[in-house]
This record gives sequence, structure tokens and C-alpha cells, in this order.
Amino acid sequence: MKLFLNIKQIFFYLFTALLISSCSSDEDEVDDIPELINEEEVITTVVLTFDSSDNPTQTIRWVVEEDNSSKLINLKANTEYQVGISFLDETDPSDVEDITEEVIEEADDHQVFYDFSDVSVSYSSGTNDTIDSDGNPVYLNSLWTASSSGSGIVQAFLIHEPTSKTGTSRDSFGGETDVAIDIPITIAD
Amino acid sequence: MTRYLIVLSIIYLSFSTNLYSQSCNLSVSGKITDLHDESPIIGALVFIEGTNNFSQTDENGEYLIEEICSGPIQLKVEHPSCNSVEKKLDIKKEKIINFKLEHHINELEEIIVTDFIQNQINSSSKESRLGIDEINLYSSESLAEALSFIPGVSSLKTGNSISKPIIHGMYGSRIGIVANGIRQNDQEWGADHAPNIDLNSFENVQLIKGAAALKYGGDTPGGTIILTSNKKKLIDSLYGSTILNLESNGSGGSISSKLTKTISNGYYAEGQFSLKQFGDIKAPKYILSNTGLKEFDLTIKLGKNKIISGWEAIYSRFTNEIGILRAAHIGNVQDLLSALSSEKPLRINPFTYNISSPKQQVEHQNLHFSYFKNQKDKGRWELKYNYQINQRQEFDIRRGDRSDIPAIDILLKTHNLAASFFWEKTLRWDFELGVSGLYQDNFSDPRTGVKRLIPDYFKYEIGSFFLGKYKLNNLFSWDWGIRVDRVFIEAQKYYMNSFWLERGYSESFSVFERRNFGSQILTNPKFSYLNFSSHTGFSTLIGNEIESSLSYILSQRAPNSSELFSDGLHHSLATIEYGNLSLSKETTHKLLMSFTKLKGSFTGSLEPYVAKTLNYIFIEPKQLEQTIRGAFPVWEYDATDAFLWGIDLNAKIDFNNQFYFQTTASYIYAQDTLNESPIISIPPFNSTQRLNYSSQNKKWDFQLSHHYVSKQNRFPDNNFNYSVIENGTFQSKLVDISSTPEPYHKLDLIFSLYLNEFTKSGAQLRFFVQNITNSDYRNYLNRMRYYASEIGRSFQIQLILNY
Repeated sequence: MKLFLNIKQIFFYLFTALLISSCSSDEDEVDDIPELINEEEVITTVVLTFDSSDNPTQTIRWVVEEDNSSKLINLKANTEYQVGISFLDETDPSDVEDITEEVIEEADDHQVFYDFSDVSVSYSSGTNDTIDSDGNPVYLNSLWTASSSGSGIVQAFLIHEPTSKTGTSRDSFGGETDVAIDIPITIAD
Repeated sequence: MTRYLIVLSIIYLSFSTNLYSQSCNLSVSGKITDLHDESPIIGALVFIEGTNNFSQTDENGEYLIEEICSGPIQLKVEHPSCNSVEKKLDIKKEKIINFKLEHHINELEEIIVTDFIQNQINSSSKESRLGIDEINLYSSESLAEALSFIPGVSSLKTGNSISKPIIHGMYGSRIGIVANGIRQNDQEWGADHAPNIDLNSFENVQLIKGAAALKYGGDTPGGTIILTSNKKKLIDSLYGSTILNLESNGSGGSISSKLTKTISNGYYAEGQFSLKQFGDIKAPKYILSNTGLKEFDLTIKLGKNKIISGWEAIYSRFTNEIGILRAAHIGNVQDLLSALSSEKPLRINPFTYNISSPKQQVEHQNLHFSYFKNQKDKGRWELKYNYQINQRQEFDIRRGDRSDIPAIDILLKTHNLAASFFWEKTLRWDFELGVSGLYQDNFSDPRTGVKRLIPDYFKYEIGSFFLGKYKLNNLFSWDWGIRVDRVFIEAQKYYMNSFWLERGYSESFSVFERRNFGSQILTNPKFSYLNFSSHTGFSTLIGNEIESSLSYILSQRAPNSSELFSDGLHHSLATIEYGNLSLSKETTHKLLMSFTKLKGSFTGSLEPYVAKTLNYIFIEPKQLEQTIRGAFPVWEYDATDAFLWGIDLNAKIDFNNQFYFQTTASYIYAQDTLNESPIISIPPFNSTQRLNYSSQNKKWDFQLSHHYVSKQNRFPDNNFNYSVIENGTFQSKLVDISSTPEPYHKLDLIFSLYLNEFTKSGAQLRFFVQNITNSDYRNYLNRMRYYASEIGRSFQIQLILNY
């Protein structure tokens, strides 16, 4: 049958054409590489500083992709500490970005919160703290006092778009967690 | 065929009372031939309408009608396997009128070589159809919602507006959606990606359970959804329709309008658009904040539809913007834990039409060109080219004004080329063979400033199929098909060096490494798959009333780009999802049976099936990953073996011609046989009951339906523990992401008025009440179930105008 010959031929050509087209672009074009993305708005580092009148300044750097388990906060009981917290993007070591500035700019949308396990520490807004438009402290600078000795864990949170700017537990602030890190703490007498 | 004609003629003759209508003496004669090869058509009936005066063509295709009175007459030619032809004549003297008849090739090609027989004997068992009435009914809904009344079909949802169909427990890449004869290529890999299709631009929807539509692909073990439009008629006409929907819940609605112009020489043009807008929808007890929707779709068609050949050019554009429940955007596991323990969403704002982040914006453009030609010896050529551009942008809540920059911005461009030949060898045998090619280019825009969820890649596919059908008689038919596909995928992907090492990829896939950028490494993974799929089945009549069929389907599917390469954070579940380069193709064996009773006051169907999938690709939680934002569970794609069985049931009792009761039900059992654990996201047992009453004159009808969805008791346990500080000490908490919602009942009501005298082509007015009791429930198949209840009561008015 003549018709069938035709069909066979046509399909043969179509098939080979498609096959060739799929093989021909197999070769690498070396310069055609997708742009490298260095993730924006990433926080790689949290820096905590502890200042008191009669002790040397203590600085804790919690860094992503480092072993942070040996980092320890040493405080003395019944002593006031000025505690500063800052957030950095150190993805590119030659161009460190201070995310804290963004937090200050968007004070209404951010909240720092500390929670403590097995130690009793109270904190209030410190000097030079950022205050949002409703008069709520963001606690970027806070004043800590431990009432007794012991050891435990401090959890530091940066909360984005909290549903409440006041509270006593992480839950009561709502919002999304941007930073949540655990750091061991020891309080001496 | 001839026997049938003789019978027909005898019947016709026996009803003829008087062959000699009047003492008139004019005559009409002529020859009737096949349009394609000009061979004489024997046994065609030629008659003058309104009289008993007729003639039947002889072996030369000639006819003669005598004793015709002078004046206008309507001459009609009929033949069982041809389209009828009519002609108006004014008889003053003897005339010779020749006719060319078109065999029913046109309609044959409309039959999609599906799950064998379904088109010939029944259409209710394995193939389900939605016609224009159902499409209109669900005009403001999505494709998945419109299909989910079919037993065995459910929808996987993300909120209220994003839903994708699940057929026999499978969804996403295991389902094919075919529009105008070409697979839809729209990033179907994501659970929160709904098909970018406007149902209103189509007139028929066919649903084929199982990978039996081999013409369109062999990698869809769940099933295939085929969307088509009706053939345009060869007449001069201008017609259209408009559908208006107004809904109370979400204070929104939709309007969809279509206008078609056809010309008797075969040319036609059609324009269609749909516009939808909804604000925040309401659950029974609260507003679901940021669940608004905006959609605008447009389709333009131009074509020429002659009998022997035809072409069609289509441009369509689908755009939407969908808000994602604000409360579902969470930061880490602790946030998830607070959301899970809360009765209602943690963020409820006043009603608004505004859609803010998190949200999705999608644009899907489709350019389509098709051509067909009918050959002399009952063959038909088809050539289709299609270009699809799909852009998906997803916006997250970001710091520092970045919420306006999408976190995901993917442009997927796909070219499809398909050629096929359908050959009706004899009345009993027909065949179809074809080839298809696909070229796909995926581009993830780096300006997002967020690691690419899906990397840049190219994909090529080349496939060929051969299908055949043997129909012994109306009682028995046999069907088979084979398909071979070659799939080639090549990506350019950055991995974190630490990840590349940790997964052992640096050893097993070192050939893919291209360049090291310090913390990240650029790789060039290339994979090639050869997929073989086939199906065979037969159908037969048991007794006089029960039609039954049995089919076996083998399908193979290459892993999709998400399963291979996915790399990113899902905010709605606080999970990190990773693809897996070690995956290989998935093979499914499926056996389907159906028993259908179509006649009598009791009708129904029963469709059991079993499926075994080897190398079933799924995602499962692996471990907790500690990040600066706290802990995240890592979910990673892996493969196992799966076993599924299920049964779909449909039964209808007609009490009289006004009143019926219908019930449908489906059950699926799905087990991961290697890990001896149930498979996730499998629809629980569900059932729908409908009572329908129509008025005597069919001017109105009333339908009450009841949906019952049971609790899914078979689910994998993916729960884990997480410690949070409570009252000054760490407390271990169970993060229960596995437990399934309680069963629920939902009542809906539809009252339809058929206003046929309102316009010439008819109009319909409908009133809907959805969720009459305002039942507060959560749906296992909705990813938002952790945060909020389903939509509450809604009143809807629908007006359909045909003109």
C-alpha cells in the first residue's frame, strides 16, 4: 500500500529530526552559567555583648556553620548587665551587612525576646534601646539582672511581625521567628 | 452495514402509506458519491421532506425520485455512516442533483483513543465526562473542584483557591492535563501549584483513570484529564454565552463570556474571557485573612474547519493572584507548634479585597497551532505545535521592603510538537500512530535573592506511540497501545559545598561538578531515562444489561525536576525540602475493572482497581536541621514500593421521570510496602448523596446533596518532639503534623430555573447554598488544615445567558 510507505517515511524523518535536534544541543556552553545567588536577608551571626561596671565586657558570637556548643555566657548574680544584641550577614566576609539597622528601621515589625531555662534572670529595656512607634521597647539594648546562681540556657529570639509587642513567653508575641538560638549560661554568686 | 440499511428501508417502507402523493410528473435524479474518493455511495436514502416520496441509491450511487409536484421542496440525503445533507430546491423542470457525502470521519477523530471501549459502549465507568452544563455549573470554581464530584477524584488543596486534582490517590506529575490535544506544562510538581487552566474556555472534559491515554503520554498512572472544545459547524452563525456568578462568602464573583462566529465556508473565530475576584473568605467562626483571589483569562481562536482538512490557531492567557492564609506563614517549628495548639488562626484581620504577601502570581500563556487532513482511504493526519510560557512568582513575608520582590520567580517555556496518523482500516480494526517531541527550558530568576527552589534546566522528550482497536461487534471490543519515551534532563545547579559532601554526591556524582565558588559549587547534572508504557484491555456485555471491562496499564515516569533538585524552605509547614539525585524512574502496573448498568430505573457503576508502583517517589521527613532560626524538619525525596487498591461506586435510582436519588462513594488503600507504612495524603473514604426533583414541565429543578468524608485512619506517623521553654524549664512537646481531621458532613443545595422563553437560545438562573449548616470542619487534603477550618456557608446566584 502506497500510503503506508509514505507514513513510514514521514515518521522516520520526523523521528530522526527530533533525535538529532535533541542530541545537537548536548554540548556545554562553558560561559553560559546561571548567576550565583548569595542569599539576601540572611542572618549568619548573632552578637551578644554583656557590660557591667566591674567586669570586663563579654562578647558571644553565635555563627551559622560553626560549632557553637562551647560558647558560654558567664554572669554574676545580683549584678546589672547592659546587654546588646546585633544581627549580621557575614555571607560575604568582605561585605558584612548589619541587619540590626533594618530591625531599627522597622522597629514596629520586630521584637527581641529572651527566655531562660533553669536560671532566673529578669530584664528590662536598656540605655539606647530602640522604641517603636507605640512606645514599646524592642530590647536591642536591655538591662539584665540574675537573682541567684545556677546554670541553664538562654534563648534569644528575633520575632518578625509579632501579633503582640508585649508578653512573657515566645507564644504570646505571635509572629514569625527570624532568629532562635540557644546559648548556655552560668550565673556565679 | 448493508443489512442495517435494508432493515432501515423496510421499516421506512412499512410506515409509508402512500408513495404516490399527487399526480405530479416532475423528477429529480443524481449521483451520490464519497467526498474523499468519489466512489459511489450505495443504499443512501434520498427523500423529499414532509412527503413519503423517496429513492434509494443503487450500486452506481444513483437515485431517481419521480412524481414530484412543481414548487419548492426540501431534498434530504441520509446514510447511516455519513452526515446527512439537505438542499432546498425550486422544481420547475426535471433536475439532476449530485451530492458528495462525508463519512463520519469527523466524529471518529473526536473519539480519543482512551481506555478502549469507553467511547463505544459506555462512558461512565472508566471515562467520566463533563459537558457544557457541568462546566457552566462550576464556572466560578477550579478544574479540580469541578472534577471532584466524580467518584475516585478528590482535590489536594492549599487554602480555598488553590486545588489540584487527585485521581486514584495520585496527583501532580502522576496526572496529565491535556488541553487541545497537548499536555499542559505548568510546573505541576508543587503541591501548592494549581493547574493554570480556565475551565470556561472548554466545552468538554474527559477524565480517564489510569495511564490509558497513551497518545498524550505514558507517565500518568493516576489518570488523564482531557479538555476539548466542540467542532465548529459549517454554517453562518454568530452565537455566544455569558455566565455571571455572585457569591456571598468572599463577597466576590466571576463573569465569563464567549462569542463565536462561524462561516459556512469553514472559517471561524472565537473570543472568550473570564474575570474573577474574591476577597477574604470566611470560615464559620472567623475570617481567613489574606485568602483573596483575582483572575483574568483570555482565549482567542481562529480556524478553518473544512471536512477534508482544517487548521486552528489559539492564543490563551491565564493570569491570577492568590493570597495565602497569612497565619500559615511561620518562622520555625516552635511557631508551628503554637499554630497547632491554637483553635483558630493566629492572625485574623478585618475583611479586605487586598492581597498581600504571602501570595502567588501566575501567568500562563499558550500559543497553539493544529492542522488536520483526512486521506482518501479513511486516514487522518494531525499535526500540532504548541508553545507554553509559564511564569510563577511567589511572594513571602520578607524584611526590609523585600516583600515586593518574589522569593520564587520561575519562567518555564515549553515547545511541543506532535504528529499522528489515525487509520480506520476496516470497520473492525483501527490504528493510530504518532510521534511527539518536547523541549523545555526552565529559568529561575536570580534577582529573588533567595536560593533557587528549582534550578535552571533544559529538558527534551521524544516519544512515539502505536495504538490499535478491534471491535468484533457491539458486545466485544479489544484495545491496546504501546508508547516509548526518551527523557533527557540537564540542569545547572548550585549546591552548598557542605551539602554536596554530606550527601556523598562529591563521590557518586563528581562528573557533574563544574566550578567551585567557595561555599557553593556549580554542578551540571544530566540524566536520561527511557520509559516504556503500554495498555491493553477488553470490554464485553454480561447478559443484556451489564457492561464490563478489564484493562491492564503499564506506565513509567521519569522523576520530575522537583523530585531531583528541589532545594528550599516551605514557610507553610516550616520544612526544608531537598530533592534527590539518586532517584530513578518509577514503574506502575495497574489493573482496572468496571461493571456498568446503563439501562432501567436503577443504573450505576462499580470500578475496582489495584496498582503496584515500583520505585514510588515520595517525600519523607529525615531529621531536624538546626539553623539560626531554630530547628526545621528536613524532608527529602526518596523511593519505595507502593501498593494501592480502591473502589469507586456510583448508583442512581430513578423513582419516576421527575425524581431521582444518586449516591457515589470511593475508598482507597495505599501502603508503602518497603517501610510497611501508609502513604501520606490519600483521600479518606468519602461519599455523596443527591436527591434531585424536576418539575413536570422541566422548568425548574431542585437538588439537595450531602457529602460525607470520613477520618483518614491510615497515615504515616511523621510526628517528632521539640523542646521549648515553658515556665522556666525546657519541656518536650509533640509536634503533631500527622494526625488527621475528624470526619465531616456538608449539605449543599441547588435550585435551577430554566428560562427558555427569556432569550431565543435559553437562559438559566440558579441559586446555590453551600455548606447550609455552616459546618466547621477541617480537610485532610488541605495543607492549611493545621491553621484554619474550611470555608463556611455561602450563598450564590448564577445567571447563564445563551445568545
